[in-house]
Amino acid sequence: MSRRLIPASGKVRAGLIIVAFFLLLAAFGPMVAQHSPTASGPHLLQPPSAEHWMGTTQLGQDVFAQFAHGARISLAVGLIAAVVAKIISILVGVIGGYFRGLTDEALYILTAVFLVIPAMPLLIVLTGYLPSRGVESVAVVIAITSWAGSARVLRAQTLSLRRRDFVEAARATGESRWRIITSEIMPNELPLIASGFLFSVIAAILAEAGLSFLGLGSLTTTSWGSMLYFAQSSQAFLFGAWWWFVPPGLAIALIGAGLALINFGVDEYANPRLRTGKKRRDRSKGRRAQALTVAGSGLAAAETVPAGSGSAEEVAGASTSAGGRIGESALTDSGDDLDTAPAAIRHNPVAGEPVIEVRDLNVEYPTEHGVVHAVQDVSVTLHRGEILGLAGESGSGKSTLTNTITRLLRSPARVTGGSVLYHRHAGREPIDVLTLSAPALRAFRWAEISVVFQSAMNALNPVLTVYAQFDDVLRVHRPRMSARERMALARTMLEKVGIDPDRVRSYPHELSGGMKQRVAIAIALVLDPDIIIMDEPTTALDLLVQREVLDQIMSLRDEFGFAIIFTTHDLALLLEIADSVAVMRSGRLVEYGPALDVYRAPGHPYTRMLLQSLADLGAKL
Amino acid sequence: MRYLLRKLVLYAFIAWAAVTMNFLIPRLMPGDPVTLLVDRVQGQVDPAAVEALREAFGLSDANILRQYIDYLGSLFSGDLGLSITFYPVPVADVVSGAMPWTIGLIGVTTVIGFVIGTGLGVLLAWRRGSWTDGFLPGLTFLNAIPYFWMALVLVMIFAVNLGWFPVSGAHTPGLRPGWNGEFITSVLWHALLPAITIVLASFANWVIGMRNMMVTVLGEDYVTMAEAKGLPERTVMVRYAARNAILPSITGFALSLGTVVGGSMLTEVIFNYPGVGYTLFQAVKNQDFPLMQGMFLYISVAVIIANLIADVVYVFLDPRTRQEA
Amino acid sequence: MNDDVILEARNLVKEFRTGTGVGPRGAARTFRAVDDVSLELRPGKVTALVGQSGSGKSTVARLMAQLYPLTSGEIRLDGQPTAATRGRAFTRYCGSVQMILQDPFSSLNPLHRVSHVLGRALRIHGNAGADVTEASLRLLERVNLTPPERYLDRFPHELSGGERQRVSFARALAATPRVLLADEPVSMLDVTIRKEMLDLLDRLRRESQLAVLYITHDLGSAEAYSDETLVMYRGKVVERGSSRALISDPQHEYTQRLLAAAPDPRRRLP
Repeated sequence: MSRRLIPASGKVRAGLIIVAFFLLLAAFGPMVAQHSPTASGPHLLQPPSAEHWMGTTQLGQDVFAQFAHGARISLAVGLIAAVVAKIISILVGVIGGYFRGLTDEALYILTAVFLVIPAMPLLIVLTGYLPSRGVESVAVVIAITSWAGSARVLRAQTLSLRRRDFVEAARATGESRWRIITSEIMPNELPLIASGFLFSVIAAILAEAGLSFLGLGSLTTTSWGSMLYFAQSSQAFLFGAWWWFVPPGLAIALIGAGLALINFGVDEYANPRLRTGKKRRDRSKGRRAQALTVAGSGLAAAETVPAGSGSAEEVAGASTSAGGRIGESALTDSGDDLDTAPAAIRHNPVAGEPVIEVRDLNVEYPTEHGVVHAVQDVSVTLHRGEILGLAGESGSGKSTLTNTITRLLRSPARVTGGSVLYHRHAGREPIDVLTLSAPALRAFRWAEISVVFQSAMNALNPVLTVYAQFDDVLRVHRPRMSARERMALARTMLEKVGIDPDRVRSYPHELSGGMKQRVAIAIALVLDPDIIIMDEPTTALDLLVQREVLDQIMSLRDEFGFAIIFTTHDLALLLEIADSVAVMRSGRLVEYGPALDVYRAPGHPYTRMLLQSLADLGAKL
Repeated sequence: MRYLLRKLVLYAFIAWAAVTMNFLIPRLMPGDPVTLLVDRVQGQVDPAAVEALREAFGLSDANILRQYIDYLGSLFSGDLGLSITFYPVPVADVVSGAMPWTIGLIGVTTVIGFVIGTGLGVLLAWRRGSWTDGFLPGLTFLNAIPYFWMALVLVMIFAVNLGWFPVSGAHTPGLRPGWNGEFITSVLWHALLPAITIVLASFANWVIGMRNMMVTVLGEDYVTMAEAKGLPERTVMVRYAARNAILPSITGFALSLGTVVGGSMLTEVIFNYPGVGYTLFQAVKNQDFPLMQGMFLYISVAVIIANLIADVVYVFLDPRTRQEA
Repeated sequence: MNDDVILEARNLVKEFRTGTGVGPRGAARTFRAVDDVSLELRPGKVTALVGQSGSGKSTVARLMAQLYPLTSGEIRLDGQPTAATRGRAFTRYCGSVQMILQDPFSSLNPLHRVSHVLGRALRIHGNAGADVTEASLRLLERVNLTPPERYLDRFPHELSGGERQRVSFARALAATPRVLLADEPVSMLDVTIRKEMLDLLDRLRRESQLAVLYITHDLGSAEAYSDETLVMYRGKVVERGSSRALISDPQHEYTQRLLAAAPDPRRRLP
């Protein structure tokens, strides 16, 4: 299955080395030890020496022998308890999550009971009553008190997986329930089960240590916890006998850290998507599932999201597509001229005063497969009051272009050439947005360029009221405004986009999709900017709502006179509403000109192909 | 408010489950442990204490339902039986004497640990990809240290070797408890090292959890939009990212509470701190089962209440749960 | 006329429960997602079901695939009423009626290779023959994934959106169905690929005389690719008729508004 057998990450390697060390110690340590862990000797409380590698206890017992035996017991308890706890949690979590209904309700409540009732006191009472305390019985009792956390996480994951299309598709194919659970759902939970297992081992080792420390551990054996118990009860720390109690605690912490480090690599192994380094496209779903993981368990310290990936949304889109996907349309249809045909550029398609000038812009992403030129030598000019339509299919580079203009491009993407000039007033020297300092950039943002994001569902902060999201902009950009003026302005803006001004007190979840998008537009307008970037503002909306929002945008443009860069994959829509149209394909501008000209006489074969496809699909053209 | 109501019902059920478990455990464990136990302690303690033990378990011939009803009845009148260790002091009195110390020490330090850890998690996530990521392996190490071991090491270094802090106790011996400056100073002074221990041992857990949540939230569109709005970095980080990322952390806080409290109780043993953990240790040593069970009930109820508080805070922080639907 | 109907939905009603239904205040309410919908699918014919999100059109497809139990109504396969949501009867039903889902990025299990996906589908319906690989290769060829050997060992994340959707088609064909329920099969794809996919669907329909239910939110493609069109609004069918007639002369106000809302560059022309 896996292509990389050697773990790439240094963290994972360090974790494996630590854990392997202790496993070897547990296996061979007791054989190497020259003393029995319980035999007392003549040398009392001696520091480490050649005779006693790790010193002796107050009774003259060899600490190394105890430490090595302790490794066996602690690891055995950890592994047995984790296996038992995992089996219980898989049964409860997966069955509850998949079958729903009353079974689920009952299992959910059972899980909640074990989750909330504190494990340690329960453990103490349970072990206290155990007639004989062997290693196995202690381990099983620990498992009984500790399965609930991961059962809850697994239930949440199963719930989210069973709603996924591939499970529905498997059902529609005729797969049996049993096979769907074992072959479709559970393999996807493997990383979760594995990381849960690692953390269960840590938790069980800690629990055993705690019990033994209280004198409630296995009565017949030496464990790290019981070493600490004796060290504590004979006041070892008063005599400075660090060699007695430091090693066991340190060993527990090291194993814990080692297992946590291994967990960093678990995801990578179990998940073929991550193996080749490509990111998933429907990342929101994935993230949400991961969020549940973290939310569901305090122990789920797994670093499920690779560092820096929060910023990499665009990269993901651009690199998968530019790396491999764009070939698709070119290969299957009308031939090679798409790549070789000269770009059909009609510069300055609209008369007027420029407000944004993009000149010879180049943006690159380094990926595993080499550098991707997400934007190549693109020059466009946006004039005051103009609607510039930016069309292109997924991965064409249009979002990279707009994100460069707003300086929202995240690493590892970098601008390798060109400039974005902003003309504040006619006749004045333009400023290059790409070289603005951080404070200047903050002042520039929203006041001159604002953004309407594709999905308003995610663009509004769910925990703040609509007013608060107007208010923070005004406080920063209009510090002299009074609270009353800010409120009045927010209400006015809502009215402008056709929303009841009293909605200013609403939270985003209380608004419909179309309303959220209008609110987002109202917030974008609040500082009366020169330019609004609209990144597929209507794609997520139903046709009728889309039409209403478009009409609203057009009438606001007439009223306020801002210029718009409107990105979408819907060329027909752009041809209807835009003044000029730019078509991008694999990072290049292939067509640029007045909308009417592009509509009547598309100059590039790719544009013609897009229009032909639209016509074949029944669009009105 | 329906959300809270449902939670309330759930917690009431959990409390009932804890009470019932407490009743059933001694009766369901294999090999009639109660009789065994009574035999075990016989001769070691006051015969009157053995009699008290018999009584505490309702070791009568009445049927189990009758026993259960009697148990619930005495529970409601606050009667948890008599402690063997401190015979003839009632369990309820022993526990209520220990409870304030524990709430003062563990309650306060847990919250401090959570606040510090969450704050650091926010910062680490914000600076992800920079040198601060180097702290992560160290934090996972810290997270896996047993609380009581951390206490042992700190006591040896700071109390025994350096003599900066008192080695044990909750206040200077012989001091009469009261609301006077001397006593309060002594209490705070004695609480300092245990408090540092618990904070050190617990905060890493919150750092790691919060950092992961933050990294997820930082990818959301509303954070990008906040940045595009030209808001100061602090506002984006706190009002937009952390404000959303903390929601699952609150749930996590409630859930980890049991673990944290369990771990913290053991540190009391090291410091001979007269709280619930230390008393529990005494109970275990003396096989004082009525006391152990009483402790279990009290701690469970305390954790359930803490969970309820966390839920109230959650409702306060997340408007979506306030929806009247 | 009625005797060549393969799959027939009669007065389908589906209600979903909202609210938990547990506890004193969790009173369950019901939401009627599909309200009295009837339709017939015939061999070699495409029926389009058009509506906005939340109109209930996807639920109709899932009801007809027997993925959800009906609240009331009846589904008839070859004139026989069938109600089989599990077990062997359900598997047999799947052998005749297959479904294609909207999102090619989530409708394939990320952990299974193409060979596994097709192999399972072939085995379940006893169409594997002597050589599963051989049968899988033939399926891939039918959906224009050529050379097929190149695709057999790939994971979904190594395929483009269009390629994944082709694999979904191949998986459905593995059952040798007579009815294909396609739930917005192209709406997540780029425009140029949409056309290829619909052309593929059209070819498969002709080759195997499939009865196709084509679900879409786009009246334009319904006109271009279907024989009959039904327009759904809030769970009800508000208009039905031959596709061409319905779109050139819509009767219901809702259909008229939908048509008027579609982007139309011709409005700009002087």
